[in-house]
Amino acid sequence: MITDRLKRTILLQLGLDDFDLRDDTVAGEVPGWDSLSHVTVVSAVESEYGVRFKTLDLLKLRNVGDLQALVDRYAAK
Amino acid sequence: MSDVLWRRWTRNAEKFPDRDAIVHWRADGCSRRWRWSELLADARRAAVYLRSQGVRPGQVCALIVRHHPQFYPLYMGVVAAGALPAVLAYPNARLHPDKFVEGLAGMTRRSGLDWILTEASLEPVVGTLATGAGSTVKGVLLPFESAWGEPGDVPPARPNSSDPCLLQHSSGTTGLQKAVALSHDAVLGHVDAYAESLGLSPEDKVVSWLPLYHDMGMIAAFQLPLALGLTLVQLDPFEWVTAPVLLLQAISQERGAITWMPNFAFNLLADRVHEEELDGVRLDAMKLFVNCSEPVRSDSLRRFLDRFSHLGVRSEQLSACYAMAETTFAATQTAPGVAPVTVAVDGPASPANRGTPRKWVSSGKPIRGCELKVVDEAGVQRPDGQAGEILIRSQWMFSEYRNNAEDTRRALRDGWYYTGDYGFTAQGEWFVVGRKKDIIVVAGNNLFPEDIEDALIGLPGILPGRVVAFGVENEASGTEEVCVAAETELEGEPERKALQLEVRKAAMRIDVTISRVYLVPPRWLIKSSAGKLSRKANRQRILDAGSK
Repeated sequence: MITDRLKRTILLQLGLDDFDLRDDTVAGEVPGWDSLSHVTVVSAVESEYGVRFKTLDLLKLRNVGDLQALVDRYAAK
Repeated sequence: MSDVLWRRWTRNAEKFPDRDAIVHWRADGCSRRWRWSELLADARRAAVYLRSQGVRPGQVCALIVRHHPQFYPLYMGVVAAGALPAVLAYPNARLHPDKFVEGLAGMTRRSGLDWILTEASLEPVVGTLATGAGSTVKGVLLPFESAWGEPGDVPPARPNSSDPCLLQHSSGTTGLQKAVALSHDAVLGHVDAYAESLGLSPEDKVVSWLPLYHDMGMIAAFQLPLALGLTLVQLDPFEWVTAPVLLLQAISQERGAITWMPNFAFNLLADRVHEEELDGVRLDAMKLFVNCSEPVRSDSLRRFLDRFSHLGVRSEQLSACYAMAETTFAATQTAPGVAPVTVAVDGPASPANRGTPRKWVSSGKPIRGCELKVVDEAGVQRPDGQAGEILIRSQWMFSEYRNNAEDTRRALRDGWYYTGDYGFTAQGEWFVVGRKKDIIVVAGNNLFPEDIEDALIGLPGILPGRVVAFGVENEASGTEEVCVAAETELEGEPERKALQLEVRKAAMRIDVTISRVYLVPPRWLIKSSAGKLSRKANRQRILDAGSK
């Protein structure tokens, strides 16, 4: 389940008013979310939650659900 | 002495059997180190396999492979079998499979691809190519699914040094890509001459995240170390763009000496690497960070230097190069060990940048075997400080775009290659300042506005044929971003927002990211005197409107 907070952070970074982000949504389905902007989306999420993801964790992300799980795991630390 | 790739590689393997030829780098630490001796042995096995599948000397093998440890012997096996490798981009998830196959089919017809060598996961997508009407493709092979046999029983291919050895495609989004066939003489002669300009030593290591379908990745980062017997540390481009710090970690751990990257990468590294990821990283041993493949921005170099000087980066490690597939790769290169010269030009240095004063970074001097001049529209040579189109004549120049006489005639005249780039000379150095063509360069990749416009024409809400695509510099990212202006009769805010989203989605299907969509009223877009919508004039009108 994608929280409103994560969804808002991603859409704001991509300049989108609204987009249906689900657990299985992959970056390539979202307008503006390409390999170049991915790093800025991750930075925005890190800033929002005050966390810093490890490189290897980032490389394992497959979809928005994985990003949500990563946020939850880091925020719980 | 004339030479061919395989002979050169064999000699290197005899000289340095136990030296690392290629380190297939992985972020998780499971890197694969290929020593010269085992790399050549596996390449011979690959050649046996390819011959057994029907691959013959002179045929073109397109390789569509992700970061894979067996890619290198496979590529070299194609060469050993006497065939011509052509590395093509692996489609990412955004690109619609139909669009990918459509582009590949166009490329097949134009370039005359004979075999597709790919991974099992792509077979369902490209499998139909071999049976399509008018296809030149004889088969789709999955080399990583088969045993390659024993080395030694390949009937030796004995190409002449003037024969083509590989096919390099210009970047772009569809089958409009142009293919350049390069000879053994051109590739080996060029990398030998270019290595002199770079002042490389036998022990230097190349570290690269560049994709190998790009000429900078293929010629500078891949062919050059293989020909010179240097070690290449090759990162996964997809991993790098997700975690840019990987390049710096690889350089530090492997004690790399040189890397090439487009301008945007200098910004990305400067802005997106966290300090805590740099624990233990040192960059003192690097000789050159070469900025190439898109306009070199002084601000990007300065930010990179400021950000990493505490790790040992010095201004004299920064470097710039002007290069293109048509001249095999480099035409000019700044001197190693000296920071690139910067000049401020206030006048109309370039027809493309009229009246925009800015600092220009030198791309250096011509490398051995290369000659350049700047001419005006009438073909008259321009004096120092005056901009015009850059023409190049080189020993390592392409002879034609494959199966494309029209573009060849347009680009090659009286022995000169008309680059379509604007530049000027000052203090004996070359400065590239703009483009005659409408091409948009995003992160070192050339995009054709025609492709983007074609993808948008027919979208409900856009007036038929009334859309232009153009590039606008983004200083923060150090590259261009794609913008679109389209005429519409829609007036309601929700309808207009929905249309903007549809425009962005339509471009996604051809793997293009549109940063801004400008919706304008009917008859707003300016036409050129030829009656076509003018990208340059409309770009300027949009920018002027935005600055008011």
